[in-house]
Amino acid sequence: MRRVILAVVGTVAGLVALLSFKSHLPTVPSAAVSTTGGTSGTSGTSGTPAPSSSPATVPGEYPMGSLAGQLPTGETAVTGHVATTVYGPVQIQLIMRSSKIVKVAVLRQPMNTIRDIQIGEFAFPKLIGETLTAQTAKIDAVSGASYTSAGYIQSLQSALDNGA
Amino acid sequence: MTSVARRPAPARHAETEAYPGQRQPTTPPRSGGSHGPRARTRAVPPQKESGRASARVVLAVIALGAVAVIALWWHSTPDVRGLGGWLTGAGEVLGLLAGYGVVVLVALMARLPPLERGIGTDQLARWHAMGGRYVVCVVWAHALLIVWGYAVEAHTSVTGETAALLTQYPDVLMATVGGFLLLGVGLISMRAARRRVRYETWYYLHLYTYLAIALAFSHQFADGVAFVNNLAARFWWSAMYLTVAVLIVWYRFVAPLRSFARHGFHVIGVRQEGPGIVSVYIGGSRLDELDAEPGQFFRWRFLTRSLWWSSHPYSLSAAPGKDLLRITVKDLGDHSQALARLQPGTRVIAEGPYGAFTATGSGRGVVLLAGGVGINPLRAMFATLPGPVTLIYRASSTRDVVFADELDAIAAARGATVHYVIGSRAELGGDPLSPRVLRSLAPGLDEQDVYVCGPDGMTSAAIEALRAAGVPKRRIHRESFEF
Repeated sequence: MRRVILAVVGTVAGLVALLSFKSHLPTVPSAAVSTTGGTSGTSGTSGTPAPSSSPATVPGEYPMGSLAGQLPTGETAVTGHVATTVYGPVQIQLIMRSSKIVKVAVLRQPMNTIRDIQIGEFAFPKLIGETLTAQTAKIDAVSGASYTSAGYIQSLQSALDNGA
Repeated sequence: MTSVARRPAPARHAETEAYPGQRQPTTPPRSGGSHGPRARTRAVPPQKESGRASARVVLAVIALGAVAVIALWWHSTPDVRGLGGWLTGAGEVLGLLAGYGVVVLVALMARLPPLERGIGTDQLARWHAMGGRYVVCVVWAHALLIVWGYAVEAHTSVTGETAALLTQYPDVLMATVGGFLLLGVGLISMRAARRRVRYETWYYLHLYTYLAIALAFSHQFADGVAFVNNLAARFWWSAMYLTVAVLIVWYRFVAPLRSFARHGFHVIGVRQEGPGIVSVYIGGSRLDELDAEPGQFFRWRFLTRSLWWSSHPYSLSAAPGKDLLRITVKDLGDHSQALARLQPGTRVIAEGPYGAFTATGSGRGVVLLAGGVGINPLRAMFATLPGPVTLIYRASSTRDVVFADELDAIAAARGATVHYVIGSRAELGGDPLSPRVLRSLAPGLDEQDVYVCGPDGMTSAAIEALRAAGVPKRRIHRESFEF
């Protein structure tokens, strides 16, 4: 019995010590912005007016991949830099109409594990919603997805610098 | 004086079967001091120190491995934030430790000669049992913490996250099956320790751990953050699993067959030593190459229609010869009854020798302390150890004393001493193996090497008394039949 208590207490204490060391590391995750990939494009020549361009964001769903080729007139696509996070690259594309962000597409996101995707499914709709509201890169990170958020914000900032 | 020195009447005695591990003690014949028709006595050579692992070194290596595993987690984890981060982080650490722990547990049981000779099968089995319980708990703590942590981070419910993990995450379902297998084996072992499960049932169910480990392997690389982006980690982790797998195949399967081919073990004869006691003589060539020592045992697999499928551990009941080994088996069940019917010429696969319970050759005097069935390996040592030897033989009744004739003859032949301490505690009026009694039975006890063999409870009590009598820990050697 003493051994059992010792094993449980020892394991828990070890885990707490280990994890608390990790949680004292720098609190603001930094995402490095690479110099490649930042382009701004204009809409295609298609004259057909698209239905009001931004569909309501369904939780867990967000545009993935470039929308540059399928834009209605008056909208431009501005692609942000690739932000490198510890979990993988994040890159977004802004769809602008009259200097207003109307849609955000995710071009690259961490997808090494199902969990990365799951976190993305949770975090990106929130980040996109915040972006559309704020119209700047000054948005809050999503809890539980701090690295993805940081990468998103970096890429967003570079897109705004590029094209807005 | 609480000891009763007398010649007990030889009598058949009952014995409880000891398993997990069920290593059956062997009983020497009750006829005089003879070691059997051809077995011979010889001086024990000093124990070779090379090729023996020390317990401290092995434990240090295991601990270092655990530190390396934690370092791998540290390396792969940017930081820990929030409740979800803490839960997930703890789950990841425990998962890595579990993946490492199962390898250690299996390696301990891989019958590696340096471990078997240096630490002893009984000690390894104790570590394995203790570590096994721990690792099963770690596996399940890992699973629950990951589910909970992922659920918190993804803002979903625990049940929803469980379903997502099982259905969407690669190989998690397989690993979960493995986890349940491990849990089942753990529970069966606990029941087996309480003697409510047959040894064979326990043994064959235990083989499911290999399946469990195989099932759980792939989810580590598919889902483990520490491995996904780290080729080197995947390589070394696989190398660790592969190495242990190769060692198991080699030492549990290939080595016994090679030894069988080289030595050609076969039954020479069977001798009824007394009621329910049978000696089996096993011949072979170049047996001296085995380096077997008194106190050690082999796992025997007799290749007859009814016996080939199981191997049983029996101690050598006489010093090993160049071309002859002897085991003596008490009538404990079907297996030992079948041994009595073995035909000369029956082929035998002998795996071993195993056991660290051998003479150290320190040159000091030796005290042998036997409890009940523990007399058996000590008997071979009593006959062969060089230098002054004192044997203290503890039994609860005269019925339980075996081969007093032979012990007395050996004692007379070499000028050694035998003390019989017989009777229950109540009859003896106190602790029959108190430090004071031990010192009076074996003068100069604290200057000698002491070998203790018997049931677990007796050996633990005896070791405590020996320590109290001033015997340094390193000079106390212990062997338990229960593994």
